[in-house]
Order: sequence, then structure tokens, then C-alpha cells
Amino acid sequence: RLAILPSIIRGDWQSHTQCTNPGSIQTPLHHSSSSQTVKKVIEINPYLLGTMAGGAADCMYWERVLSKHCRIYELRNKERISVAAASKLLANMVYQYKGMGLSMGTMICGWDKRGPGLYYVNEEGTRLSGGMFAVGSGSTYAYGVLDSNHRPDMTPEEAYDLGRRAICHATHRDAYSGGVVNLYHMQQSGWIKVSQNDVSELQYKFREGN
Amino acid sequence: MASVSAFELPRGGFCFDNCRRNGMLGAELAKHGAKLPKARKTGTTIAGLIFKDGVVLGADTRATEDTIVADKNCQKIHFIAPNIYCCGAGTAADTEITTQMISSNLELHSLSTGRKARVATACCMLKQMLFRYQGHIGASLVLGGVDISGPSLYSIHPHGSTDKLPFVTLGSGSLAAMAVFEDRYKINMEEEEAKALVRDAIASGIFNDLGSGSNIDICVITRDKIDYLRPYEEANKKGDRKGNYRNKAGTATILSEKIKPISFDILEETVQTMDTS
Amino acid sequence: MPTVMEDCVGAIQHRFSPYSFNGGTLLAFAGSDFALLAADSRLSEGFGIHNRNAARLHKLSESCVLACCGFQGDCLSLLRILEARVKMYKQTHQRPMTCPAIASLLSQLLYSHRFFPYYCYCLIAGLDSQGQGAVFSFDPVGSYERVPFSSLGSASAQLQPLLDSQLSSGVQLSASQAEQLARDVFVSAAERDVYTGDSVQVCLVSSVEVHRDSHSLRKD
Repeated sequence: RLAILPSIIRGDWQSHTQCTNPGSIQTPLHHSSSSQTVKKVIEINPYLLGTMAGGAADCMYWERVLSKHCRIYELRNKERISVAAASKLLANMVYQYKGMGLSMGTMICGWDKRGPGLYYVNEEGTRLSGGMFAVGSGSTYAYGVLDSNHRPDMTPEEAYDLGRRAICHATHRDAYSGGVVNLYHMQQSGWIKVSQNDVSELQYKFREGN
Repeated sequence: MASVSAFELPRGGFCFDNCRRNGMLGAELAKHGAKLPKARKTGTTIAGLIFKDGVVLGADTRATEDTIVADKNCQKIHFIAPNIYCCGAGTAADTEITTQMISSNLELHSLSTGRKARVATACCMLKQMLFRYQGHIGASLVLGGVDISGPSLYSIHPHGSTDKLPFVTLGSGSLAAMAVFEDRYKINMEEEEAKALVRDAIASGIFNDLGSGSNIDICVITRDKIDYLRPYEEANKKGDRKGNYRNKAGTATILSEKIKPISFDILEETVQTMDTS
Repeated sequence: MPTVMEDCVGAIQHRFSPYSFNGGTLLAFAGSDFALLAADSRLSEGFGIHNRNAARLHKLSESCVLACCGFQGDCLSLLRILEARVKMYKQTHQRPMTCPAIASLLSQLLYSHRFFPYYCYCLIAGLDSQGQGAVFSFDPVGSYERVPFSSLGSASAQLQPLLDSQLSSGVQLSASQAEQLARDVFVSAAERDVYTGDSVQVCLVSSVEVHRDSHSLRKD
């Protein structure tokens, strides 16, 4: 059985977050050109992937802390952590900081005893399990493509194409999205990186009707 | 004030209709960390002094938009009348238009009276206009000239207040420039000495104030001549770059080309020299 | 000067701001066996210049240099803590900290102040454990990324597009080419950015040494 999770592939708004601290002192972060190559899919361990939307530092830091907890769990219990447990650890961690200005929209995707798992976790502590998600500023555009073309019986190649298409079309309409589409495939044996494509090249390809 | 309908003819004068709206928008935008667009303000050093035979006016040539240099060689000493010039600091458009308006009105005035314009008249017109607009016209001016009563020099602030002084500085670099004047100004200086002093005052603004920069312009007004020196001195040379960063010819590919000749006859040809200052 | 805008907003409020911006521009390239950093030396605030010869490049080890700009107070205290932690690591583990490890440490230090951040833009450049050039670019709350080249600070919006156009097609620069490009882009930045000027400090990290150099820029 294969789980193709096109929604773990994302491009969306990047890097700097507006920080408001509890003392309501606004940090004068100067916004300027941010990265085009930032890896928005964070490789937590060979069986877990996390995605990044919102504050880059928030996602990067908390998913790194999560990877530490997952490793400790593995050493203590001599078995891998489930996707459900991993995502709950993350949700509980950020829930402690609720209302303090964290910004994080993430999907935790993995493969465990129960098969493929996909969870959406955000900075408010929301945690949802589902078969398809899109997160970030361009998510509405991505959902449009995903919902109209998704079938439960897709082959891996068809799913890869749909994932790329969804991100590509989202970047086309969303000013905060762009750069490259990083595509991962979660299998029973762990994740593999399928491809990395520049959206500006994909855009031409899709326009020509391929 | 302004016309409500596009078909209504404009009635002239400034329109303040959007002030309240923009105030509301600004407050709303501030909540989201955004700002309203701002008019270009020239962080500036302008200065002037009276010497034995007349007036020396000086200005830097940098125009900034926030922290970016918008113009590296802009003109800040404006013409008012053949014997009167005016340096402008503050909102670029305001200084430009205000001096132009006063210049035309002063010309009409001198035509109707049949006398040469006086600096005091120009000063009076400027302050009355600026006061009427309650500071909304962001022009800080150094007005200098020589007329029947000899050389005179005024500083005019955006709200309409004026000072008549032997030496004045205005703009963001005014403190740096005033320090030089306070140190070395003497009454009845010779022309060369006066020019050197104004040069040093402006240079001090250029190097110590981030809003001022580039070159030094000087205008010397005496009873019988005007010396508009632009640039008086290039205080800063552009650094030289070793590499070549131009795109190679053919970077943009030509997909198709069509040349259509337009036939015409030359009936008349005149050559004019261009002001390349 | 009270304006209509302020009238509509309400009373003018005066309150203490813990931050100020002291300008400065940073730049770094990663080469095959070297890393090059450049930073201007103007320390300014508002319309004034505090120091025309400020140090922005700080050597942390034989193969790692930190470039830091933003709010000078935060830069100094961050540098002090980072230097201490790098020294403690060396004394504990009997070997110098690698460049990627220092980058990871800096990320943690920055994130530890997530709710009252260090107002610092940091670049770390040096050699990794394979001896290849490495550049790490940070945001003020600790998000970081290894990149082939990067610019940060007040003129970064002018420099980055130029670097993208010159280097994006995977061009590998030699150390001398990189130094020339760094000097040239700073000459351009000093033309248009009021917070960049006075001089550019260049620092070349290679397996042999950390070589420093300085070139003057316009001073207005």
C-alpha cells in the first residue's frame, strides 16, 4: 500500500514573522528580500516529515525540538514513535505558548504501525488528522487544484504531478509563495525526496498543457 | 474646495479633502504595521551668510527617500528674481513649487510697480503663503538677495515664522553647518573668505549628516553680479568598480525584427546647447 | 510637528523603545575551499554617524567568522555570549567548534529570545568539516539556512538581486573574483544607501588563515 500525500508538498510564505512579545513591544524587524531556497519540508527523522508555514524560526525550532523528543522516545521504548504521538507532542509544546505570538502552520507526516499518517498542527494548538491538507498563504489556491483533481486510486506518478501542480498554481496567484517545489514521498520504508523543481519552469510546462 | 463630481470645474488652490480620510487610513494601517506613502523629503544642509558686498547661499545636492538616495545631484538653490535666490529644505515638491509661485508673483509685482524686487517683499509673500497653510506646506527656506537696501538674508520656517539674520542654516544638517558658522563667522568678510566658510559649513553637513551628501552648490549674489556655482565642489567622488556588470549583447533574444522607414524632409534645423550641469 | 494624521490617531504617545537601528550591510560568499565575508564599517543612528570604523566581522575560530549588524547593543551582547560558548565548547571537548555547529548554536541563542528578540542580522561563514566554504544566513529570531551567498542589513535589498543575477547560475568564483565582486557591490551600495559607507572590511577564510583587508568607501 502506498500513501501519496500530495498535501505535504508545499510552497508558501516564508521566513520572517512579525513578532509581538507579551510586553507588547513591537520589534522593528526590517523586512526585505528573503530566501528563495529555504527548505519548507523539515526532515524530522527518516520516517517523519514536517512542513513549514508562518514563522520560519518557530517551525524550524519546534520541529527540531520535536525530533529530539522523537529520538528519545525511540531510545526509551525501542520502537519508533507513532505519527499521532509525534504530532501531539508538537501540539502540546506550542499550546504552552498560546497567545504569545508564535506563528506556525505545519503538517506532520509519517509512516507507523497504523500505516501512513498525516496531521495538521498550528500555533493555537489545533491538531487535525486527515487525508489531505494545504497550509499557508496560498493554501486556498492549492485546495482548488487538489480538490478538483484528486482521486483515491491515483498512482504515485499521478499524485506527484498533482502535488506539483497544486503548489505551482498556488505560487502563481499568491504573492508570498514562490521559488521551488520540493516533493517528498512517504513510503513504508521511510520518506524519499522525489524532486525539486523551480516553479517558474513548471509554470511554462503546465501552460503548454503537459 | 475640491470638486465632488468629475464634471465640476476645479476651483484652484489646495484641496484638503483627503486629510481626514488619510488620517483614518493611517491609523488603521498602523495597527497592521503598515504605513501610508510619504512625500519625498530632502534631508538637507542649506546655509547662507551676509558678507561685505552681498550674500552667499550654499546647499548640498542629495535628495533622499527614507534611507535611499533618490537623487545624487539635485538643485536646491532656486531662482526667485534676478537679484534674489532661495535655498529649500523639507518636502521637495513644496520647496520647488512654492519658490516658483513666489517667483512669478514677484515678477508680476515688479512689473506693476516698475521697481526691482526686494528681498523683504519675497520674504513677506513666502511667510504669508506658508502661514495660510498652517505648516501643511513643508518648506523650510533660506532666502537671500541684494536690493536697494543692500544685502539681506532670511530664514523661513514651514509654519510661516521668519528670522532676519547675518548667517543662517536649515535642514537636517543645520546643526553641523551652524557649528562652523558660529566658530568662524565675522562681519564684513571678503568674498573668497565668505565662499570658503559656506563651503566648509555645507561640507560639514555633507559628511556628518546622513540626510545630506554629494556635492556643494554655492550662489554668490552681489549688487552687480550673480555667481551661481553648480557644482562649486564635488565633495564626494563615486568609487570605481573593477568588474563589468553589463549584460552581454544578445542577452534578450530578438524573436522577430521589422524595419519600416519613415520618409521625411528636413525643412529647418537649429542647434541649441543643452544645460548639462 | 503635530500633523492632521496624528490628530486623528489621538494623543501623541512617548514611550521607551528598547531598540534602535544602527545600520550596516553584510555580505558573504561560499567558495569551493574558502569563504569570504564583507561588511561596511559605518555605525549610525537616525541622521548621525557614531563611528566610521566599527568592526562588524568577528573571528570565532580558525575557520569561522561572524558578521553581525542591526542594533549594536544586541550585536555586542550576542557576540559576547557566542564567544564564551565557543570557548567553553573547545575547553570541554578538546577540539574547536565546527562552523555548522556554531551556526546551530547561534540559532538556539537567537530563538531563546523569541519573545524579546536580539535585533541582529547575522551571517556565519567559514569552512565546514570537509573544508568547503559555508555561509549560514540568519533572521533575528533564529531561522537559518545554508546558502551559497547572502547579504543582510540596510542595503541587502540592493545587493541581493545583483548577487542573484551574477551568481545564481551556479558560477564558482575564485577568492580574488569574490573579493572584487564584494568590493564593487559595496561601492554601489554606498552610492545609494545612506547607512552604508566609510569603508568596507573584507575577510577571507581559507584553510591557511583568516585574512583581513579594508578598502575605503564614500564618506557622505
